[in-house]
Amino acid sequence: MKFYFLLVGLFLLSQCVREISGQAKSMESVPDLQNSMYRVVDGVPCVRLLNLSGEIGCANPGRDKVVAPVVRYQTGLDLARPSAILVSLDRMGELFDRHDVTVFFRISKDPGLSKNIGGILVESGTGIPNEFKGFSPDRKFPLAEFSPYQSTNYEWNPRGTGILWNTYTFPIFLLTNDSTPIMKKIAKENEKKTEGHTSNVAEFDLVMQTTKYGTHDSESCLKEGTCLPLGGYRLDMKYGSVWSSLPPIHISSSKQVKPTILTVASMDSGSLFRDKNLGSESPISGLIALLAAVDSLSRVDALGELSKQLVFAVFTGETWGYLGSRRFLLELDLQSEAVRGLDSKLIEMVIEIGSVGRAFNQGTETFFAHTTGVSSATNATLNALKRAEVSLGSQNISVSLASTSNPGIPPSSSMAFVKKNSSTSGFVLEDFDAAFSNKFYHSHLDDPSNINSSSIVAAASLVARTLYILVNENKNIRSSVLDSISINGSLVDEMLSCLLQCDPGLSCELVKKYITPSATCPVHYVGVVLGEPSSTPYIGYVNDVSRFIWNFLADKSSALEKNSRSTCSQDCSNKGEVCIKAETKGICVTSTTRYVPAYSTRLKYGSGVWTVLPPNSSDPMAKIDPVWTESNWDNIGLRVYEVQEASLDRLILLAGIAATVLAYIAIAIARAFITKALKRD
Amino acid sequence: MTVAAGIGYALLALGPSLALFVTVISKKPFLILTVLSSTLLWLVSLIVLSGFWRPFLPLNSAASWPFAVLIITSVAFQEGLRLLFWKVYKRLEDMLDAFADRVSKPRLYPTDKMLIALAGGLGHGAAHAVFFCLSVLTPAFGPATFFADQCPKLPFFLVSSIIALAFATIHTFSMVIAFNGYSDGNKLDQLFVPVVHLVTGMVVRTCCWSYYCNF
Repeated sequence: MKFYFLLVGLFLLSQCVREISGQAKSMESVPDLQNSMYRVVDGVPCVRLLNLSGEIGCANPGRDKVVAPVVRYQTGLDLARPSAILVSLDRMGELFDRHDVTVFFRISKDPGLSKNIGGILVESGTGIPNEFKGFSPDRKFPLAEFSPYQSTNYEWNPRGTGILWNTYTFPIFLLTNDSTPIMKKIAKENEKKTEGHTSNVAEFDLVMQTTKYGTHDSESCLKEGTCLPLGGYRLDMKYGSVWSSLPPIHISSSKQVKPTILTVASMDSGSLFRDKNLGSESPISGLIALLAAVDSLSRVDALGELSKQLVFAVFTGETWGYLGSRRFLLELDLQSEAVRGLDSKLIEMVIEIGSVGRAFNQGTETFFAHTTGVSSATNATLNALKRAEVSLGSQNISVSLASTSNPGIPPSSSMAFVKKNSSTSGFVLEDFDAAFSNKFYHSHLDDPSNINSSSIVAAASLVARTLYILVNENKNIRSSVLDSISINGSLVDEMLSCLLQCDPGLSCELVKKYITPSATCPVHYVGVVLGEPSSTPYIGYVNDVSRFIWNFLADKSSALEKNSRSTCSQDCSNKGEVCIKAETKGICVTSTTRYVPAYSTRLKYGSGVWTVLPPNSSDPMAKIDPVWTESNWDNIGLRVYEVQEASLDRLILLAGIAATVLAYIAIAIARAFITKALKRD
Repeated sequence: MTVAAGIGYALLALGPSLALFVTVISKKPFLILTVLSSTLLWLVSLIVLSGFWRPFLPLNSAASWPFAVLIITSVAFQEGLRLLFWKVYKRLEDMLDAFADRVSKPRLYPTDKMLIALAGGLGHGAAHAVFFCLSVLTPAFGPATFFADQCPKLPFFLVSSIIALAFATIHTFSMVIAFNGYSDGNKLDQLFVPVVHLVTGMVVRTCCWSYYCNF
């Protein structure tokens, strides 16, 4: 009898399969097993953004995670059930365009596909195929509603598809270069398993608080506290003009304000995917050109003795309705603390450095000046620009007036200036004439390979010399001084590697000289406004790039000043001094560099809550301001694992119960048998 | 694989042992105590073994011989412990018999002795199932399943449960055979148990993977 039972055991064992200890992937613990089963996939999400009338962007449709099998996108794909579609870069336009995946266009060309989209995964490539004509999710005329002219159907961005502004009721993730091959393999395995009992699924966790709480526009979500307004801190810096060979004179900034030449650039870009947002050509090339121009002008003597003032401003939030420039203009009107020392009536001209990274064309760097209108100030600016071009003669740089068949200035911060005050003079320097040269405007593909550092150096040289000419009012300029104004090419290269790459990224020497960055990979998304907006924000709420630019501009503007150089950690006791490099080794320098909060002019912060103000009649742009906010969320993640059919799970439960019941019966029978046998003995 | 499958795997591994416990063991408190102490003893033995082998892990999975050494030493230790277990049982038996004599009650019947041995074996089987199967079963309660490279057709947890079931059965009845062998002095029985233990251990690790898995 005992042998019988033992043999049963052996039989079971020999009938079954092998032990798994010591397999190829050495797993040493249950957490290892868990990690092998549930693989976390790196992905950059597209998140839910809201405005006054509704929402854009992506989110899970409810409070739960979305689980869907991974399927590769092919033309003519027909889905039987909600699936996660893996689509490559070059087919993405086709998927979004032809198949109308938005919630508003249900009567699409392919209802079978749209209905069953559980989620979308976009592949990343290591190289963009040559036949890929470009990809821009923004509209064909970005921010057309802010244009100061009527032709709003002009196509500045011909490759624009507008998918950035659609509402998606499913999650969309952009895979990284590392996770793309993993996903491709999984999709391929799924194709082989069509008749099998298991499938590989992707689990999307993109549950947005606004979905959970049912607040589907900015006003309600701000009231409920399920979202935060887009915005941040942008900077304006006054180029101090004090140093001279005479005993140093320190001019307090509250005294006479001189006529001002304002040079602006912006530092934020947009993308369907929140954290993959480099914006190399638009607008970071312009930002780097501005910083390089400031650097070169900081080495010129005697700028302080002149009758005009140079002010440099870097705006953020421009992608989302010109938040930075509009708030700046409002603060100027209110004469607030943030812009003390500036007078809007004395701003003579506004020069904007737009996209300047792709000017290289058959041996010459070609730029275009898009003027804001015809006036004597604009003419003076153009003359200065021409003179600067001539002085740079040997360097193959050319600048021409933009074509008159253009309806006006391209989408830029200057549009906000002109819309506010139509007599604003100035120009926008761009590397294109009638349409963007950027094939990847406001997309995750606008990376450093899209631009050329020589183009940026050329633009910076032009701007620096033009500003010098303008501030000297085009007289008494010694060509030797003008020719000495040159751009530090290695500084430009360093800034490219710091602001547009992950390695070294923000951990580069240049940035670490000024700040302690919180992340290495730079992201040029405007972000949300944390806490109360003010001109002296809590430094922890200001993002790395803004803090770097503040410190850089303060450092350069103080270069030829008398500085106390006393150590500091936050503020300086001397009037007119600021504490730079506070996060590393703070020193006090003489500079007028300030943060100005950038957020919608229709928002007000009070007692911990944001409220939407009704449009003010004195602010024409307030009526068209969408008031963008970003939903809050708990976690965002993407996992893949293999699931088996529910019927198999039930079968296993049944098998377990059957084994128990059968054993019970067998033991009961055996016991009865044994008892009877013992009684007999 | 969801909660249903997780419960299924747990029942598959320990269901028959549970059935045995409910029908036979639970009627007599002494047997329950025996099961508990036996489980404790064998769990401790497995922990001691894993503690001993920890510095040598992970083993080079390409060669088979490290695993053979692992299994041989573990089986030898456990069989030695089984002998010790029997010696303790003998002492206990003498004490019980002496007590029975004092209160003029009958001594232990052979069936009682077998039941005690069965309880001891059940404890051993349960310890094995808990240590080798239930401890890795937690991920099975989630939505995902897992297939090992060596066995791509059957889920890993299913394999693990079936092996645990087999070992539980083997251990349960090995104890009965061993105790019989020790008390009768039957060399065949005494040798049978360690040999079976060793052979099943080796078979599970080293042999014939593709034959059974790729059906």
